[in-house]
Amino acid sequence: MPTDQTSRGWLVSIFTDIHFWVPAAVLLAGLLLLRFIH
Amino acid sequence: MTDQSATVLQERGRRQSLQLLGVLCGFTAGAWLGAAEAPTKLVSIGVSPIVISLIMVVGVFLARWSLPALVLGTSSVRADVHRAPHLIIWALLAGCLWAVANTLTIFAIRDIGLSIAFPLWNSNSLLGIFWGFLFFNELRQAGWRRWAGVLGGAMVMCVGATILAIASAGQSSSGHSMNGMWAALGAGVLWGTMYIPYRKAYLTGMNPLSFVTFFTFGELGMMSALAFSYIGAAPLWHELTQTRNVVFWLMLGGFIWVIGDLFQQYAAKYVGISRGIPLSNTNQFWGLLWGILVFGELHGKTQATYLQVIGGSLLMMLGVAAISLSSATGEEQQYWKEAAQRESARYGVAEEFVAARFEGRQAAGEIVPRRTAVDWLLVAIATSILAGFALIARVPQFSFRWGPALALTIVSLLLLFVCGRKLWRTTGFH
Repeated sequence: MPTDQTSRGWLVSIFTDIHFWVPAAVLLAGLLLLRFIH
Repeated sequence: MTDQSATVLQERGRRQSLQLLGVLCGFTAGAWLGAAEAPTKLVSIGVSPIVISLIMVVGVFLARWSLPALVLGTSSVRADVHRAPHLIIWALLAGCLWAVANTLTIFAIRDIGLSIAFPLWNSNSLLGIFWGFLFFNELRQAGWRRWAGVLGGAMVMCVGATILAIASAGQSSSGHSMNGMWAALGAGVLWGTMYIPYRKAYLTGMNPLSFVTFFTFGELGMMSALAFSYIGAAPLWHELTQTRNVVFWLMLGGFIWVIGDLFQQYAAKYVGISRGIPLSNTNQFWGLLWGILVFGELHGKTQATYLQVIGGSLLMMLGVAAISLSSATGEEQQYWKEAAQRESARYGVAEEFVAARFEGRQAAGEIVPRRTAVDWLLVAIATSILAGFALIARVPQFSFRWGPALALTIVSLLLLFVCGRKLWRTTGFH
């Protein structure tokens, strides 16, 4: 299994990846929209 | 013939075979996703749509763990996670996106009716084409004919879907039409964006069967959170106990839906999201077939309605044909490979593994997955839960035509068999 160091490595890779932030931002917007229309 | 030209021919043959497989998976996905609507049509009780959605997601959860265990075994899932642990985060994110989008569609249907809502959220295929092009090098160097085939095909399918939705939907309006429009558009954006994690996972070599097992935690977690926050714990429990007689039908719908979704995942893997999403969007056509032929939904409607159904279906078929005939060329696939290499370098996944999975084969030295007692236990638990709810299920009084139901079931099973067999023989479910 991955060690703490390698885990930190791939977490950094995810959080510095624009491909992650696009869906994350869309999810946040979707939750806000749901709150607004409910 | 030299060895080099023989290898080139072999590679080209493999590429074409995988493209054909992806198209077949997309088409089969549409049939099974559409069939999933059939059990839910048996449920006509006054229960909150969020509760119905939650119960279906529980059925989905059971299927997403038991089917992969049955097909390849959980050892394959463990091996995939060991190689690319970062993909768990992507799968959870995709599951959360799905749950929020699904809930938004419930509000959209309530506020503006299916006929307006469906075309709005069906725009997800156009967004999928955009993300595929922007992030994953899809349709690069594809030439104007393939662009026209994919984009034109997706647009023709949207028009066909709109006509089908108008023909099949009973208008409903709750006086919140702007909210409904936003909800439908939001669902389209969420679903279209959900394919970014899908493509990300498959370019990095993850098996679709592994991806869905983690996807479902995001799906169930988010759906439960939404149900608790919008309904409250005590009313939710009250509604769940009230629905125990129909839980089986809803869970069965979820189970069938997962079979379709698995094929959709393989389509996204082998033909990319720009082609895979529109192909699996044919589910609306299949859902309508079940509705008209089995449940007699258009009985007594005007000739104009039937003409709309025929016209809409023909347009959908035309769109499917255009996309199916626009498979990726060798040049375009070279760009896909570059995107895969970029992912492999970023996340430290072995290049040989990514390349092997890209071609739908096992990497050298990879252990052949085997089923263990744990897998059979998972299958037994899922089967017992379904069987338990089946025992207390009430068969509703419903206008049901057995002949067409049998014919559609046979067609769906035939597609499952043909596509499943081709998947097994070509990729070993990788």
